[in-house]
Amino acid sequence: MVVSVRSWVANEGGKHFVLILWLGVNTWLFISSFLLYFTGQEYHYLYKMLGLGLCISRASASVLNLNCSLVLLPMCRSLVTFVRGTRTISSRKTRRLLDKCKTFHVACGVAICIFSVMHVSAHLVNVVRFSVRYSDDFPALNLARYRGEDPMLIILTTIPGVTGVLLVLILFLMFISSSYCVRMSNYEIFWYTHNLFIVFYVILMMHMVGGALKYQTNVEAHPPGCFRANQSSTEQQGDELDTSEEEERRCSEDAHFQPHYPQTWLWVSGPLCLYCVERFYRYIQSRDPVTIVTVIRHPCDVVELRMLKKNFKARPGQYILLNCPGVSSFENHPFTLTMCPTENKETLGIHLRVVGDWTERFTQLLLPEPRIDMEILPMAQQRRYPKVYVDGPFGGPSEEVFNYDVSLCVAGGIGVTPFACVLRALLDGWMGFRLQRLYFVWVCKELQSFYWFAELLCALHHKLWNENRPDYFNVKLYISQPDSLQILRTPPTRGRCFTDREKLQRSLKCSCWHITLRAQPQHVFQTVPLKACLRRSTAHSHQGCRLVGPGGSYFLMKLENPTNINVLVFSAAHRRASPGLSTDCATHLNTVEQHSNSTKSRSAD
Amino acid sequence: MGKIEWAMWANEQALASGLILLTGGIVGVAGQFRGWQFAAYAVAAGVFVCLLEYPRSKRAKGTSVERTGQYCFTVCVKAFGPLTRNYYVRAFLHAAICVPGGFMLATVLGCVCLGIASLIYLAAAIRGEHWEPILPRKEIRKPVGESIKNPPQNPPPRPPPEMRRKQAGDLEKSAYDNPMSVTDDE
Repeated sequence: MVVSVRSWVANEGGKHFVLILWLGVNTWLFISSFLLYFTGQEYHYLYKMLGLGLCISRASASVLNLNCSLVLLPMCRSLVTFVRGTRTISSRKTRRLLDKCKTFHVACGVAICIFSVMHVSAHLVNVVRFSVRYSDDFPALNLARYRGEDPMLIILTTIPGVTGVLLVLILFLMFISSSYCVRMSNYEIFWYTHNLFIVFYVILMMHMVGGALKYQTNVEAHPPGCFRANQSSTEQQGDELDTSEEEERRCSEDAHFQPHYPQTWLWVSGPLCLYCVERFYRYIQSRDPVTIVTVIRHPCDVVELRMLKKNFKARPGQYILLNCPGVSSFENHPFTLTMCPTENKETLGIHLRVVGDWTERFTQLLLPEPRIDMEILPMAQQRRYPKVYVDGPFGGPSEEVFNYDVSLCVAGGIGVTPFACVLRALLDGWMGFRLQRLYFVWVCKELQSFYWFAELLCALHHKLWNENRPDYFNVKLYISQPDSLQILRTPPTRGRCFTDREKLQRSLKCSCWHITLRAQPQHVFQTVPLKACLRRSTAHSHQGCRLVGPGGSYFLMKLENPTNINVLVFSAAHRRASPGLSTDCATHLNTVEQHSNSTKSRSAD
Repeated sequence: MGKIEWAMWANEQALASGLILLTGGIVGVAGQFRGWQFAAYAVAAGVFVCLLEYPRSKRAKGTSVERTGQYCFTVCVKAFGPLTRNYYVRAFLHAAICVPGGFMLATVLGCVCLGIASLIYLAAAIRGEHWEPILPRKEIRKPVGESIKNPPQNPPPRPPPEMRRKQAGDLEKSAYDNPMSVTDDE
């Protein structure tokens, strides 16, 4: 099934437009710099010495300047959150572009790497040529001290050479450690090496000091290629010239050369200052430690943490960065807020799943194991919570749930946390939003996971039923590992034994919710909301289908006429990496499916 | 920083350094620069490092994702036994390989990058890591229980009639023990 052009333009057009614009600017910069050095009169002698290597290296340098300045902008998280929240950007399509911040950062980073390779190769050739084509006519132009100087010596004894080598090494470290597998397995390596960018920028600003490449300042007085009376230069045309031409092209003075004024700091200092200001602002905001109010342990290794912080405002779907110096001084871990402060209740809450060493240590500090030999004191006196600092809140695509008529929210495992906040906001008041219908699909590995938000789901369901909007909130729950269900869990005490599922259904007090086992991704996408979305969507004319997450192309194929439908997919696999920026989830339900026993995993792409 | 597996990062670095060394060597040989013999050596060394580093090791904790088509490389590398298992050997091997690359301009970058990778391998070796091959898991089929061949002849036992009569009144109390497991099938 082919997606219609109109809907593609509405959904994907914005980011492709930005991509093409960015590529266009890069291409224009490259070509204009290349031509400047290829045909510019003031670079004539330099070009004669160095050849194409000069043009390529300078052209890639200007592209590098642009990308080094652009790469910092998407990382100003507070700025992006602010832009997302203001009413000045009222168009949904523009706000959707902000979801792609991290992708833009990665694109700029990759461009930096590619053009660095080009720049370094061209400059290596230049260095060899500086050495081989040492110019006796214009000694000021030379970088080498004598003809045939070892190029390695030239590199290691000039400032641009040494800084260049250091820059390449840092860039290499940063690039390799930001590959997918290193990020997924050892996030700290990625984080600590990526913070070398400060060193990178400082060295970058010193890279042009020393002036290796010079331009000619007196082009009018000494047109390049003109004759000198007492000089037999091998660069001139030859003997075929007439004397009249010789008269015209006589030089009035010698060529003067001057090194370039370093331009890099002009490009880079603006975004760097902006980034530093933003980090400082975030540091000031997060200086007060939060007060931990409650710590609740949930099944399946999930701990809920409720805190209080002064002057903290958040919208549903935003996330915070948690820093606990008792565990690690430098690590900030992102967690989506499951409870935002409202007028009635000021607590903010997160649900964190204990997976890695930071969360394990943090949970141990929060809920210490009771020691048997200590006296049984009331827990309130004994417990000393660790100091926790909160940075944020930062925004994500899940803030947009309320701005569409129909929203389909698909969550895998702990990926449900953004939607928990959304559901709480609906519980407080569902009538003020544009949202008319919410489909909620939640896939978990184990049945006990549903206990995390069982009361919330129930409360919302009952409220909407009582207020005569039963169609507003539609829930579908799926389990992907039914073999882990324990059938006889509690010993039969009064001759009664329920399966886990029945117990959950009883606690949910809604037997109308069918819990499906052995979820297959296609099954999930086919059953629930598609047909309902389609039926509803025929009434609307303009199209705004937004697909966040992988399998988007598959899903888009199934929607014949996507209008005003917002689909958000969060999976458990990417909770650590970027909870608020789920647009780059590489696996969705496939992750959950892979953990199950099925050996064949069909990709939904 | 406690539980980082340095070997995975070192592996990525070493693979990239091998590629850089190879590229630098090709450029050096093609341009016939001074000292092109070092470039020829760098080509061979780059290929060797890439082949050695292509198969990823199995992670101690967590899922290991293997590179495409790495199975045959895994078998070859595994055949060398303790030489490739031990990361000390790899660290010193990479340090030794990278030294000749430093004598020529085109390959000096590959030399430095491989040197960094060798340092990280040394760190991994000090922490006691070693290389484990990722081999495909043999599927163990669960033996099918005998009961599948003999379906039950009798219906499951039911409680005495006085419990059954209370069904209309109280849903809670009318639940009864079901000794046979009831699985849900979709």
